[in-house]
Amino acid sequence: MAGDVRERVIKVVAETLNLEAGQIHDESKFVEDLGAESMQSVELIAAFEEEFDIEMDEEEALDVKTVGKAVDFIAAHLD
Amino acid sequence: MPDHVSSVKYRPLTPEEIETLAGRGCTSADWGLVEVAAGFRPERVRNTLFGGVVRLGANGGTLTDEAGIEKTCGIDGASIFACSIGSDVRIANIGVHIARYDIGDGACIENVGTIETRPDATFGNGVEIEVLNEGGGREVALFDRLDSQFAHLLCLHRYRAGLAEKLRGFAKAESARARHSHGRIGAGARIRHTKCIVDVNVGPHAVIDGAALLSNGSVLSSQQAPTRIGCDVQAESFIIAEGSKVAGGAIIGKSFIGQGCQIGRQFSSEGSLFFANCEGFHGEACSVFAGPYTVTHHKSTLLIAGWFSFYNAGSGTNQSNHLYKLGPVHEGKLERGCKTGSFSYMMWPCRVGPFSVVLGKHSRTFDTSDFPFSYLEATPSGRCLMTPGFNFTTVGTVRDAAKWPARDRRKGPKRDRITFDVFSPLTVGRMIRGSEKMKELLDNTDRNIDLVNMNGADVKRILLRTGQKFYRSAIGMYLLDKVLARAEVLLERPELPLSEAFAVAEGAVYDEQWVDIGGQMMPRKRLDDLCAAVVEGRIADLDAMNRELDAVLQAYSADEWAWIREAYATVFGKRLDDLTIGDTVELADELLKTRQKFLKLVLNDASKEFDNVIRTGFGQDGTADDVAADFEAVRGNYDGNKFVREMENELVALNARVEKYKQAVAAR
Repeated sequence: MAGDVRERVIKVVAETLNLEAGQIHDESKFVEDLGAESMQSVELIAAFEEEFDIEMDEEEALDVKTVGKAVDFIAAHLD
Repeated sequence: MPDHVSSVKYRPLTPEEIETLAGRGCTSADWGLVEVAAGFRPERVRNTLFGGVVRLGANGGTLTDEAGIEKTCGIDGASIFACSIGSDVRIANIGVHIARYDIGDGACIENVGTIETRPDATFGNGVEIEVLNEGGGREVALFDRLDSQFAHLLCLHRYRAGLAEKLRGFAKAESARARHSHGRIGAGARIRHTKCIVDVNVGPHAVIDGAALLSNGSVLSSQQAPTRIGCDVQAESFIIAEGSKVAGGAIIGKSFIGQGCQIGRQFSSEGSLFFANCEGFHGEACSVFAGPYTVTHHKSTLLIAGWFSFYNAGSGTNQSNHLYKLGPVHEGKLERGCKTGSFSYMMWPCRVGPFSVVLGKHSRTFDTSDFPFSYLEATPSGRCLMTPGFNFTTVGTVRDAAKWPARDRRKGPKRDRITFDVFSPLTVGRMIRGSEKMKELLDNTDRNIDLVNMNGADVKRILLRTGQKFYRSAIGMYLLDKVLARAEVLLERPELPLSEAFAVAEGAVYDEQWVDIGGQMMPRKRLDDLCAAVVEGRIADLDAMNRELDAVLQAYSADEWAWIREAYATVFGKRLDDLTIGDTVELADELLKTRQKFLKLVLNDASKEFDNVIRTGFGQDGTADDVAADFEAVRGNYDGNKFVREMENELVALNARVEKYKQAVAAR
């Protein structure tokens, strides 16, 4: 399941930030490495919510700084 | 006869005085027309030509200027025609003449070319300017007591039959009162190094220093709020209100500059109204309605045909009011609290909801009035891409809310009525409406669709849910905070039934819709009633209208509470009258939780100002280690930041407040 989540997270990140999937790794930081600006961070959360049909708390999501953390965060939500 | 000399008794000159005056180079075709007051000393007058009826006050005193230099009063080197001059006035080195002026006690006029009043002068009163729509149809007549509420109604409410005609009548009566054969220079005014002043009233304690031309205007001023006109200013057909400063070569034409404004550094204004505490530097305004706290500081910034308030224009901000070929007939509205980013552009007509940020070059019409606190970014093709509610959690909005009241420069009676609240029935009501629209659209839009359009603004479909979340948080914080504040009366009066704490004040007016009238917020019904009273003649003059607007301002809190009661029931599905004490405790906890989340988002936004990326360029000529040291020396650190500490302290205070409330109700 974690692998599936990871794949889907990378797909969402790639689409939202206009990146190639190959540029995105677990340790990639959304802001520093992937160039996510404030509004894109909001979009990312919205896109994750849509993709996984979950409701994420913006304030909790602030602590999610990397792609790997996002995978863990979402997987925990799905559990 | 002017007020300041009305009680002074004058007498003709004695032969000895005439001889003294003549011996000091003074002349008059008819010395019998020159009268003087007790304390007049002819030896304090020299090289002066008198013409027409001239009255001279006592002149034995001295005046001390702002540089601390003391000079004797009197007249030296001037031509004075048909003037009344008060006590202890100094007039020196007048190039052409001073004609038809009443000059107040203690005024000082030095090194001035011409000061004259021509027949039928109205001193800027009655000048009609084409505000907002350069093509006309929204003209506002200037008068000394013009305020932002009056101007708003006259300019924008043309759809109310008969209102504009009545308001024009009020303005006309004010202008008629201003018409006078003599201009006034108020007590304690100082005018120097100024080329030409024609048909201009100068209020008490005003300072005019180095102006190039002042024509057909009024410089309103008071001892409490002196007004300053500085170097190289050219102003024609204008009114500049108390406590304002217009300097630095500003060019003012057919404009009203309200109380506490600052205009300078070559700013130019044509056909525009600026109300309380506006600032205009470097740029240009044309046919603008600048409500309170409109600020434009940068070169290449053109504000044209727009309605603004609490607005901050970024550098190079620009708009167009020519859309097709029928001339400059289009207009735009940025509701209170908006900002435009550097080089932002809007093709009017557009309407931007309160507290929104406009970025990029917008070439399409849109109306986001139901979506306050939004980011409006232009796509490469000029379409508006809106992120609803995003600005709600940005640090700038929170800072703005605190800074405006603290920056009110007005002293003495305040003409414009201002409601400062960022969250109010106006903005929260819009968010409730915006949320409903987003929900409806989200529910009815296929998941395969990326973008939806709302009144010309595109929104990414997935952000319809995010926008609702932002608004839900803002609406909740506002309502819960206000309800808790009401419930807190139990701390002082534990015996009070909750229903009484939540009662509506007598005379409070409820209307779901609220309006922002030139910076004053009120229920629409209050406005409708006021306008009807004006149209029907029950409000028959400006004084009566001002009294009514003042009463509406006084009723703001009561009206707001009436609105909150209804909104609470709508949002939370429970009427306040049905709330138990236990409910209020839950409500207090919910407020704390929501506020904690909000402040975390705001602080996260603030923390970006300390990111490594932001440190780019610091540590000039140093090593990588020097970057942090340089940054901290200049910018400080996150934990020590004043704003961050204030936010953290606010949370501590709210925690304590909630705890105190819970303990108090537990003890009941």
